[in-house]
Amino acid sequence: MSTHTIRVTVNGTEHEAEVPARLTLADFLRERLDLTATHLGCEHGVCGACTILLDGETARSCIMLAAQADGSEITTLEGVVAEDEDLHPVQQAFWDRHGLQCGFCTPGIIMSTLELLREHPQPTREQIDDALGGHLCRCTGYVKIVEAVEQAAGVLSGSRA
Amino acid sequence: MSGGDGRPFGAPLKRKEDPRLLRGRGKYISDIKLHGMLHATVVRSPHPHAEIRGIDTAALLADPRCMAVLTAADFEDMPELVCIDAEETTLPFLQPALARDKVRYVGEPVAVIVAEDRYDAEDLMTLLEVDYAPLPAVVDPERALEPDAPILHFQSNLTDTLHYSDGDAAGALASAPHVLRERFATQRYAGMPMETRGVIASYEERSGFTLYSSTQVPNGVKTNLQTALGLPENGIRVIAPDLGGGFGVKLQIYPEEILLCRIAQRVKRPVKWIEDRWEHFVSTTHGREQFHDVEVGYDDEGRILAIRDDCVTNTGAYLQSLTMVEPFIGVCMLTGPYHLENFEATAKVVMTNKTPMNPFRGVGHVQAAFTMERIIDSVAADLGLDPVQVRLRNMIQPEQLPLNRKFGNVLAGTIVYDSGDYPTCLKKAAALAGHADFADEQEQARAEGRYIGMGIGCFVEETGLGPYESGTVRVEPSGKITVLTGACSSGQGHATTLAQIAADELSVDMDDIQVLHGDTDLVRFGVGTYASRTAAVGGTAVRQAAGKAKDRAAFIAGQLLEVDPVDLELRDGAFTVAGSPGASVSLADVATAVAPGSPLPEGVADYGLEATDVFHPKTNTFAYGVHVATVEVDIETGVVKHLRHVVVNDSGRVINPLILEGQVQGGVALGVGGALLEEILYDDDGQPRNPNFMDYLVPGVQNVSPEIVVEHMEIPTPLNPDGIKGGGEGGAVGAPAAIANAVANAIRPARIAATPLFPARVHEAIVAAGLGATVEGTKS
Repeated sequence: MSTHTIRVTVNGTEHEAEVPARLTLADFLRERLDLTATHLGCEHGVCGACTILLDGETARSCIMLAAQADGSEITTLEGVVAEDEDLHPVQQAFWDRHGLQCGFCTPGIIMSTLELLREHPQPTREQIDDALGGHLCRCTGYVKIVEAVEQAAGVLSGSRA
Repeated sequence: MSGGDGRPFGAPLKRKEDPRLLRGRGKYISDIKLHGMLHATVVRSPHPHAEIRGIDTAALLADPRCMAVLTAADFEDMPELVCIDAEETTLPFLQPALARDKVRYVGEPVAVIVAEDRYDAEDLMTLLEVDYAPLPAVVDPERALEPDAPILHFQSNLTDTLHYSDGDAAGALASAPHVLRERFATQRYAGMPMETRGVIASYEERSGFTLYSSTQVPNGVKTNLQTALGLPENGIRVIAPDLGGGFGVKLQIYPEEILLCRIAQRVKRPVKWIEDRWEHFVSTTHGREQFHDVEVGYDDEGRILAIRDDCVTNTGAYLQSLTMVEPFIGVCMLTGPYHLENFEATAKVVMTNKTPMNPFRGVGHVQAAFTMERIIDSVAADLGLDPVQVRLRNMIQPEQLPLNRKFGNVLAGTIVYDSGDYPTCLKKAAALAGHADFADEQEQARAEGRYIGMGIGCFVEETGLGPYESGTVRVEPSGKITVLTGACSSGQGHATTLAQIAADELSVDMDDIQVLHGDTDLVRFGVGTYASRTAAVGGTAVRQAAGKAKDRAAFIAGQLLEVDPVDLELRDGAFTVAGSPGASVSLADVATAVAPGSPLPEGVADYGLEATDVFHPKTNTFAYGVHVATVEVDIETGVVKHLRHVVVNDSGRVINPLILEGQVQGGVALGVGGALLEEILYDDDGQPRNPNFMDYLVPGVQNVSPEIVVEHMEIPTPLNPDGIKGGGEGGAVGAPAAIANAVANAIRPARIAATPLFPARVHEAIVAAGLGATVEGTKS
């Protein structure tokens, strides 16, 4: 099996690695870099738990190969705020509104929310549904997730104004 | 109401566990790495039913990547999974850890392969040669009972028939003015947590086995593993890390837990197995599949006079730990909040070539509520009566409680409804949903060509199940409090709710409390989280342990201050003497005074400030609730939209209303899946048809109403000191009944007797009822 040398920037840190062609991006992040916030719920691109930002756009790291990420800049949940920083307003909103229970789907949902609020600082309910539509959560029933996204939108657009 | 006066008990506090999870620092099973760890895959049967004629490992072992393989040949005595209802009849139907001579469902474990890397282990699976001789399979439980049906085990596929009878159902049916005959069917679906299962096993001579497992019941897994592997108590430690949801499907021992221990011992290195989603669909237990053929006698006012229920449960290929709960609850809780003089039921428990069944969120109650609530609405529709009035006429009145329902089983004891007010709950829910005005709204919508409907789902649910739970409360010399519980969390927030109870009892700050669970070396005796039991049973154990620790602290404080402990008051983490504001010792001072290293205070005999207690509830509590769903049905396609959902719940006293609201809303979403979207499908030959998230639809944000309104009645149960009944499952129990009734109401008089209400099934009902037939382009 072929191997590839890739260079990626993950959460601001540059990495160069030799990877087998078939290694998924999710496994690269989790197993090679120990960034385990990116979760694997289905490994077939449906549940959304493995969602990351790839050059600023959401991507499902379970159905992408690490080799395909060569040259890109990746953000995982660990990179949203530094360890010693306060929670990001999106994280804070999920805490405030009880937008998570088991927390397994949460990392992916936060990454999609970050993208949504960058593109639509004051999203409509339809835009929220579209952004969250690619994520499965078995615990919350989504009501409090949507409330959290709305709270975060309010805080972030307020702070920008 | 609780939550006033600044007390933590009853307050909608944010969860202590969340900042860690929100920063991505959760530690789930797949995140754990041990030094030298290998990776396992499980080779599973591709056949629903086949003889195993032989297994050839030569090609596999010739591959240098193969570190080990485990097959049935490696076991002298094959360990079996346990079934709690271990009567003589159930014993032959237990599942072996690995199939030996025969496989009975697609997904049954046949071998385990270990390699350095998961990718390699998966490659190696193709090198194992299993010689299968396929046998005819059976998936329909009624077909399974026919004389010429393929037999899974021996003699018959009927493992048991439960009988329950009260009054004279036959006589009352014969003389009833009206009789309804219908078959109500609930489909096979599953808990489907977002995290699949996983296991890491290691073995060291010094300490024996350590097993990490994504389980809801670490102590139960430990006990079962002792039996399976022949170990003493100190031969194995089970650790449950953060769980990515459980919903019941992680509450039993599974083959992989046994198999990984065996193989880790052999290779002398830790071995990890993480289930993939396909495996989860075929190897993690399913639930629900149950059919109720009912005859219902009723009078002109809609009073139910008698019910006869022939129930069939399709348990799949083996009996698991609690499989028998599904048929038991399904018939014994059928009548829910209603009074009934004459009842007769038989519940057949039938084996087929499907994945085994075990409880998940709302076990048995979901089918019972769906059946009973459809019965009530059918009676109301037949008589042209208001469904709320028909329910009120049949409901058990508050003054009739406690009420012995006479039936019971080994696990649950006799069913005795403890406390509550069912009619008020119904009236509140109907008012909140606007039920009285809905008919006008509906008529107006129909005039616009929109088919909206409102439906009610009432239920009573067995909660706070025993046998016991343990709690330990330790006051550290720093003043920090450590709480240990046997009830480990799978996302419910125990680190918060149990801390609220300890904080309430000890009058300390929530930030000073840490709740730990999920390690059998830390918690010697414990049961786990399922059956809406942790708040009621685990919470009481923590309350009692904290009370004992407080009493001991007060005694020591009395010695230190030279006063009688009865004159002491504990507030904000310190004892003060009534009438002498200057005299005070903090809990930290007290814990320091009894910490080893210096002499004990006068009159104090033992070191340490810690107490453990165990709470054995006398019997279960019974929570209840009423759901009112509003839906819109697309008359052309049969697609159902969930518009609004109201729940009024009595879970007893509420520890944290924010968390309980989340539990109920999440349960409703699971119920939306059960009502509208989810079914594990098999073809007639026993092959699973939709074992993936593309073809099995877990509800997404667009499928669930954005408005799930939850209100609580807080009528305390007398069965535990805080009056808690439990609330983890009710959302899932009432929702399918309410949604099905709402659909039936929207497209009346169409017949709705089965879930899930897939568009095709709804459309078929619409066409059969002659509705929407004039719409151009509609085909039957």
